[in-house]
Amino acid sequence: MKTDIAKMRNIGISAHIDSGKTTLTERILFYCKKIHKIHEVKGKDGVGATMDSMDLERERGITITSATTNVQWADHSINIIDTPGHVDFTIEVERSLRVLDGAVLVLCSVGGVQSQTITVDRQLKRYRVPRIAFINKLDRTGANPYKVKDQLVEKLGHNAVLMQIPIGLESDLQGIVDLAGMKAYYFDGPDGEIIREEEIPSGLREEARGKREEMLDAVSMYSDDLMTAVLEDRATEDLIHKAVRKGTISRELTPVFMGSAYKNKGIQLLLDGVVRYLPDPSDVENIALDLENEGREIKLKADPSAPTVALAFKLEDGPYGQLTYIRIYQGRIQKGDELFNNRSRQRFKVGRLIRMHADSMEDIREAECGDIVALFGIECASGDTFVTPGLNLTMTSIYVPEPVISLAINPVDNASADRMAKALIRFTKEDPTFRSHVDLESNETIVQGMGELHLDVYIERMKREYQAEVLTGKPQVAYREAISRKVDFDYTHKKQTGGAGQFARVSGSIEPLAKGNYEFVNNVKGGRIPREFIPACDKGFQSGLKKGQLIGFPVIGIRVTLDDGQYHPVDSSDIAFQTAAQGAFRQAYAKSKPQILEPIMKVSVEGPTEFAGHVFGSINQRRGVIVSSVENGTFSRVDAEVPLSEMFGYSTMLRSLTQGKAEFTMEFMKYGKVPGHVAEALMAEHQEKRKIDASK
Amino acid sequence: MVNTEIIQRSPIRNLEKSIHGGLGKGNIGVLASRKGVGKTACLVHIATDKLLQGKPVIHVSYASRVDYIITWYEEILKELSKKKGMKAAAEFHDDIIKNRVIMNFNQDGARTEQVLRSLEAMIIHGNFAADTIIVDGFDFAQGTPEDIRKFKEFAARLGLEVWFSATLKGEDPLFDGQGVAFMLGNFMGTIDVLISLRHEGEIVRLDLVKAHDKPATGKLRLRLDPKTLLIAKAVRRKQGRPGPSPRS
Repeated sequence: MKTDIAKMRNIGISAHIDSGKTTLTERILFYCKKIHKIHEVKGKDGVGATMDSMDLERERGITITSATTNVQWADHSINIIDTPGHVDFTIEVERSLRVLDGAVLVLCSVGGVQSQTITVDRQLKRYRVPRIAFINKLDRTGANPYKVKDQLVEKLGHNAVLMQIPIGLESDLQGIVDLAGMKAYYFDGPDGEIIREEEIPSGLREEARGKREEMLDAVSMYSDDLMTAVLEDRATEDLIHKAVRKGTISRELTPVFMGSAYKNKGIQLLLDGVVRYLPDPSDVENIALDLENEGREIKLKADPSAPTVALAFKLEDGPYGQLTYIRIYQGRIQKGDELFNNRSRQRFKVGRLIRMHADSMEDIREAECGDIVALFGIECASGDTFVTPGLNLTMTSIYVPEPVISLAINPVDNASADRMAKALIRFTKEDPTFRSHVDLESNETIVQGMGELHLDVYIERMKREYQAEVLTGKPQVAYREAISRKVDFDYTHKKQTGGAGQFARVSGSIEPLAKGNYEFVNNVKGGRIPREFIPACDKGFQSGLKKGQLIGFPVIGIRVTLDDGQYHPVDSSDIAFQTAAQGAFRQAYAKSKPQILEPIMKVSVEGPTEFAGHVFGSINQRRGVIVSSVENGTFSRVDAEVPLSEMFGYSTMLRSLTQGKAEFTMEFMKYGKVPGHVAEALMAEHQEKRKIDASK
Repeated sequence: MVNTEIIQRSPIRNLEKSIHGGLGKGNIGVLASRKGVGKTACLVHIATDKLLQGKPVIHVSYASRVDYIITWYEEILKELSKKKGMKAAAEFHDDIIKNRVIMNFNQDGARTEQVLRSLEAMIIHGNFAADTIIVDGFDFAQGTPEDIRKFKEFAARLGLEVWFSATLKGEDPLFDGQGVAFMLGNFMGTIDVLISLRHEGEIVRLDLVKAHDKPATGKLRLRLDPKTLLIAKAVRRKQGRPGPSPRS
C-alpha cells in the first residue's frame, strides 16, 4: 500500500514515568484498530501493554530501546516510535530522535511538568522536533490542566496554547470541548470508541469563548489570513488548523490537548491533532554527509524517484533472525532492490520488506521516502546507511567517540559464559560506543562504554534478555599517558653472544603531537637503515605506546622522527630493529616528562535555581571547572568540565542534594592533564598492582 | 601564570593610570555608548587582562545565549596573541578558562537580589574567589539606582570590583555638558568610574567622564582598534616622525 507523503507521520510519544504514556499508546493502537482488546499496564491481566517489549523497561519504568509500530488514522499512516526517556544512552537517544518528525509530549494533569518531562523536552528541543502536548489523567483527584499549561510556559518556555477545555474534572470528567470548532465531544461505548458531538453545555459556554479568544490571539500570529478573519469575526476551523500547523512546525507554538487515556477520553481528538498539526516527512529538512566531499552536508529530497538513502536505526533479534528498522529519507525501496551499505562497503539484496505493527508484521512490496519499515536478514550494524549503489552519502557521522570507562565482567558459570558472549556480540553491533575485549594478562572480559549507567544497562540486559549472570569489577577510567617535551634518542641494540648475533642502532627524536595519536616520520638518508627495516622500527615504537611507563595506559599524542641509524650486514634483522626501537622509546620516554591524562567530561546540571549553590559546590568538590551558569526564572543550568574519575556516584549525590529535583547529563569532551597529587596516587597504585602481579 | 611582559605592555595599564590606579575593590565602573560601538569587546578585554594576571573573573550576562560570549573571549585572546610580545597569551588558554565563569540571567525573570544571591553562591559554595565581576547587558533604562547600589554593597562586602556596560538609547544629544549621558544622570552617585565610547570619524574614542572623586580628565589616550575592537593606545597625530632613513 502506498501512502502520499503528506499523509505520513513519524511521531514519538515522550513523557515522565507514570504520566500514562504506555496506557496512551495502548489506546491509540486500540482506536486505530491495531489491537482488539485493551490491556492495562502493570499486568493486571498478565499480558501488559503492547508497546514496551522489554521486561527491564517495564521494571525500571524506563524505555531503553525504540520499538516502532504503524497505525492508520483518518486516512493517514502514523509510525509511532518509542523513545528512550533516559539521557545516558546517547547513541540510542540520538537514533530514535532523529527518525522522528514530531512528538506528543504527555504530561500528568496532577504532576504537571516533572523532572523527566524537562529531560525529554530538552532532547526534543536539541533535535528540533516539533511537538504537541497532551495533558493526561484528567480523571485523577487534583487534576488541573490550566496549571499544567502554565507550567509548560514557565518551566519549559513553550508558547503553549490550549486547544481544548475539559467538561468536568476528576471523577466528574465527562468530555472535552474543542475550541477550534466550538463543539463538545463525549466518548461513549464500553471503550469510548463511539464519539458523540454536541453543543457546548450552557454552563461552559462563557469560559469556552474566553479560552477561544486566548487561543486565537496566540495562533493568529502565524497567519495573516487568520488575523484578518479574527478581526472581522469570521475565523474558520480550517484557517485555525493551518495557522496552528504552521506555528507547530516552526517549533514556536505548542498546541495543548487533554483527556484521560485510562477513562478512554480525548484520545481520538489527540490523533486528529497529530494528523493536523505535526509535520509530514517533507516538512522536515534532513541532512546527509557526502563522503566524497569530506563529509560536506547535503540536503535530502523527499522525492520517491531520487536515489535511495535510508538509515538503519535499530536492530532487533527476533525468532526468525535479525530485524533491521530503517527510515527511508530519499527515494524508495522495493522488494528485490539492490542496496549498498556505506559502512561495510557491501551490496545486498532486499529480501523481505516489512511494516511493523505492535506485535505482528506485514510483508509489503514497496516503501517510499519518509516511511519507517523493517528489513529481514540483513547483515549490518545499527547506524548504517543504505543507499542506491553508486551514491556515497551517509546519515551518520563516521566519528565514534572512544570509550572512557571500562569494567571487568566474569560469568558465574559456563552456561552464562556462552550467553554472555552472545549478548556481547549483539550489543556491540547495536551500539558502536559499547565495546568488549578479553584482557590478555588477566584473562578477563572487559567491556567499555561512555559512562557508568551506560555499562549498567548492558549488564542488566545481559541478565534479563540472555540470562547471563555476571560478576562485575570496579569501573576503571580510561587514562592515557603523553609526553610533554621533545627528547632525542640514540640507542644501539647489540647481542653477539653465541649463535646468530643481533645488531641495530636507531637515533632520532620523540615530541608531543597536538593532533592525532601517533605519527611516524622517516628522515633516514643514504640507506643508513635499509628501507626494509623501517617498518620494523615503526612497529617497535608502536608497541611501546601500548603501555606507558607511568601507569600502564596507552600513550597518545606523540610524533617519532627517525633520523639516523646503523646496521650490520649479517646481524641486523627485523627483530633487531624492532627491539632497538623499543629500547629507544623506553629510554626517551622516561626523559620526556611524561604526564597522565584523564577523560574530562562535559557535565550539564539542570534544576531549580534554589539549589544552584549546592550544584556549584558539588562540582567544585569534584575538581570540576564551572564554565557557565544560565538562569531562567526559577530554573537554572550549570555547564561544567569535570574529570570522569570524580563522577562516580554523582547521580545519587545530586539527588540527595536537591531532593531529586536536579538532574545531569554528561558526555566525553577531551583528555586533560591529571593534577600532581592525583598522578602520584595513581602511580603508587600501579606499582602496588605490579608487585602483586609479580608475586603471583 | 603571571606573565609580566604581557601585563605591562597592556594598554589597560594606561587606563588604570588615568583613573588613579584602577577601579579598586568595592567600586563600580561603567562603559557607556550606543549599541554596537564595542562595549562588550572592551569588557572582555578588561576581563582577559585580569585573567592573564591569574585573577578570577565572573562574567554576568543578560543576553539570551552564552556561546557568543565564549566566542568573544576566544577572539580577544587570539587577537592579543597576535601582538608583538603577546605570543604567550594563547598558552594560558586553559588557565584562563579555569578562572572564568559566565553566568547568564534572563533579565525579565532575574531581579538584582536573585542575581547577587547566585553570584554569592558561586563565590562561596563554588569556592570561586572572584576578583572582578563583569556585568554586560544590564538595562539601565529599566534598572534603578537602587539596583546598582546593591551591586556596590555586594562588591564592597566581598572585595570585588564591578564593571558594567550601559547601552545608551534615545535621540541625540545623549550627553550633558559634563559628558554624562542623560540616561545615567540618576546613577552618578553610585558610579565611581564612567567612560564613554564615541565614534569620532572612523575611530572609536574612549572619554573619561568620571574617575572616582576627581573630576573628569577628558579624553583618554585610548581608542578601539577598528578591526579587532581591542583597546589600543591612541596613535599620536603626525608628530613629524621621521621616515626610515635610506641605507647608506
